[in-house]
Amino acid sequence: MQCYLDNSATTRPTEYVAEAVRKCMLEGFYNPSALYAPALTSEKQMAACREAIARELHADARNVIFTSGGTEADNLAILGSLSFFRGGRVLFSAGEHPAVRAACESVRNQFDVQEIPYDEKGVVDLNALRELLTPDTRLICVMQVNNETGAIMPLQEVAALRDQLAPEALLHVDGVQAFMRLPVDMRKMGIDSYALSGHKIHAPKGIGALVTGGRVKLAPRALSGGQEKTLRSGTENTPGIAGLMAAIESYPRENNMMQVKLHLYEQLKEIAGDKFFVNGPKPEEGAAHILNCSLVPVRSETMLYALEGDQVYVANGSACSSRKQKISTVLAAMNTPRKQAESAIRFSLSPYTTMEEIDYALSCIRRHYDMFKRYERR
Amino acid sequence: MRQLILVRYGEIYLKGLNRPYFIRTLVNRIKQAVRPFGGKVWLNDSRIFVSDMTDMEACMEKVRKVFGVHSLCPAIEMDKSDFNAVCEQAAEMMKDIRGTFKVDSRRSDKRYPMTSPEINMQLGGYVLSRCPDLKVDIHKPEYVMNVEIRDHAYLYVRVIEAVGGMPVGTGGKATLLLSGGIDSPVAGYCIAKRGVEISAVHFHSYPYTSERAKEKVLTLAKQLSEYCCGIKVYVVPFTEPQLQIHEKCPEEYGTLIMRRFMMRIAARIARNEGSKALITGESLGQVASQTIEALCCTDAVADMPVFRPLIGNDKIEIIRIAEKIGTYETSCEPYEDCCTVFTPRHPATHPKMDHVERAEACLDIEALVSAAVEGTEVIEL
Repeated sequence: MQCYLDNSATTRPTEYVAEAVRKCMLEGFYNPSALYAPALTSEKQMAACREAIARELHADARNVIFTSGGTEADNLAILGSLSFFRGGRVLFSAGEHPAVRAACESVRNQFDVQEIPYDEKGVVDLNALRELLTPDTRLICVMQVNNETGAIMPLQEVAALRDQLAPEALLHVDGVQAFMRLPVDMRKMGIDSYALSGHKIHAPKGIGALVTGGRVKLAPRALSGGQEKTLRSGTENTPGIAGLMAAIESYPRENNMMQVKLHLYEQLKEIAGDKFFVNGPKPEEGAAHILNCSLVPVRSETMLYALEGDQVYVANGSACSSRKQKISTVLAAMNTPRKQAESAIRFSLSPYTTMEEIDYALSCIRRHYDMFKRYERR
Repeated sequence: MRQLILVRYGEIYLKGLNRPYFIRTLVNRIKQAVRPFGGKVWLNDSRIFVSDMTDMEACMEKVRKVFGVHSLCPAIEMDKSDFNAVCEQAAEMMKDIRGTFKVDSRRSDKRYPMTSPEINMQLGGYVLSRCPDLKVDIHKPEYVMNVEIRDHAYLYVRVIEAVGGMPVGTGGKATLLLSGGIDSPVAGYCIAKRGVEISAVHFHSYPYTSERAKEKVLTLAKQLSEYCCGIKVYVVPFTEPQLQIHEKCPEEYGTLIMRRFMMRIAARIARNEGSKALITGESLGQVASQTIEALCCTDAVADMPVFRPLIGNDKIEIIRIAEKIGTYETSCEPYEDCCTVFTPRHPATHPKMDHVERAEACLDIEALVSAAVEGTEVIEL
């Protein structure tokens, strides 16, 4: 049995999505900018996808910009909006994805860039944010769901503080781990821009979007033929957009992910007893698809490779950073003890993950844990 | 007239009666290297020639990496009887060059109607008249127009330095302990350069080390194989010895006992495949297991010579070679190696042999070594 529990890294496109992509590639391959009739169909499909995204986020379809994915959307929101300012403060939360962190770090020579700390549960510390907000704050970046811990950020409270202390500041939300999994109302929540990615919700890789509110002015990062209202030039990725549309349409909103996750949590607790730790919020308080926990003293990599032998695939934090061998910045921001951080494993589910798969994974984990706990590293 | 590569060998000149054997081996190694380009390789008058290849530059890059080759030149071969045509060709080859030059001719065909100084003067004069941007400087020229009069005339300007050393296979066979680090591939390179055929042993401690770590080592071996004319990699399952050492032996001797196991296993594999020595990337004092006392303890179980070509090198010197041979970047990929899985907090740096022997006496050494050798996976690159 194969058990894929790394859905926060990427997901397997469903048959329905793959068919939509295939159909678009073979039949709807026309360049949406072309003048003949079939190209119009491509353009209409794009418009439908824009509508679907806008509906989901309570935004205006005219403000949906297709990108190559979450990273480009985050980069465009941050660097594109900051290019209209000189000086001032930029804030990003301590556990932001590198797409946000690296973009903010890159403007350090022009802005006063500061990190908003996390509390021990991996949630943005609102008191610290209150201290950091100044009237000249230009941009605040807070993700909706942390990709490593599943912690849900108090975006409404962040926006309220912003309104009170730095009303001019834009609020950018990296929603890559939340889109379709948590409700979003950009208007009500006071979000100025929102980044999303297709391949985290069973669409193909290479498609994502940035959705903006009325206040955001952006300078383009890719210059060419003026597509996406000149904000993101380059021929549109129509098969990706078709896939994203199909993924949104078919996403099972009613699902039992939380139930599956709580079952996983209970069983892991039983396997490792007092050596079991959750990294992040209480399981029932976090996002339904992510559980980050430690089975001390077995190191993450050891467990991960052992499970790989059983075709059970999990992550040791975020796939984006696993090539850099150090303790994850997110766990470090939460002051996670070293031994616990070194054993951290991230399980991430999809609505299609079954209880049987989880029970199979658990049986493998139990076997490996009982074996490897004997050989504690110093 | 045709384009070809003129290949020179270096140290082989110093050989006496067995020189033909070395040259023959070198020709075979070059043939192997240029096979993908369909090149013809032949020996003539103490020079090796490569012609009729599909891609001159790529072919030269391959030949440059053949141990035993001192230098190579992309050359033009033409009829020597029409000296005017030779001059014309020389001028054509120099036409885009600015700066100083001289002509350096050699005449192994002593029946040729002109002497070398005459060729130098006349050909130089012709080139000068045709290329106004060139000046003659016979002492420190920026470019040298080489003319060799043999069965044909050979003209070349560019001389590419090659790796040197001796042809692989002329120096016997040795087995390299290959990890994913920076040092061991360099050690393998250094010994292969002396004409030694190399095989490699890698210790894999799944699930403490990953499939990616193994893949990284195979990439390193592949990079080495470009120089060594192919390499056989033995991947040894090493988890069981490591776990037993960790569980049963005193912590401070953990790494040392592990190194002794590696030596025993590698030596047995080496003997099975006809290797006469082991190679390691150790450098004196680099880590606890590389002190003189520690090396004595690991040598004691090897029962064959252990070559440590990097023993006197600083890390920075080793890195420079790794960069030159193209293994450095791969070595820097961050996948854990079996050596660091159970590193002791305070390893013994001046171990005594009898203490180490006592410390490992609780293990069934023979059984662990045999099982590891039996479980070995062989990959030919």
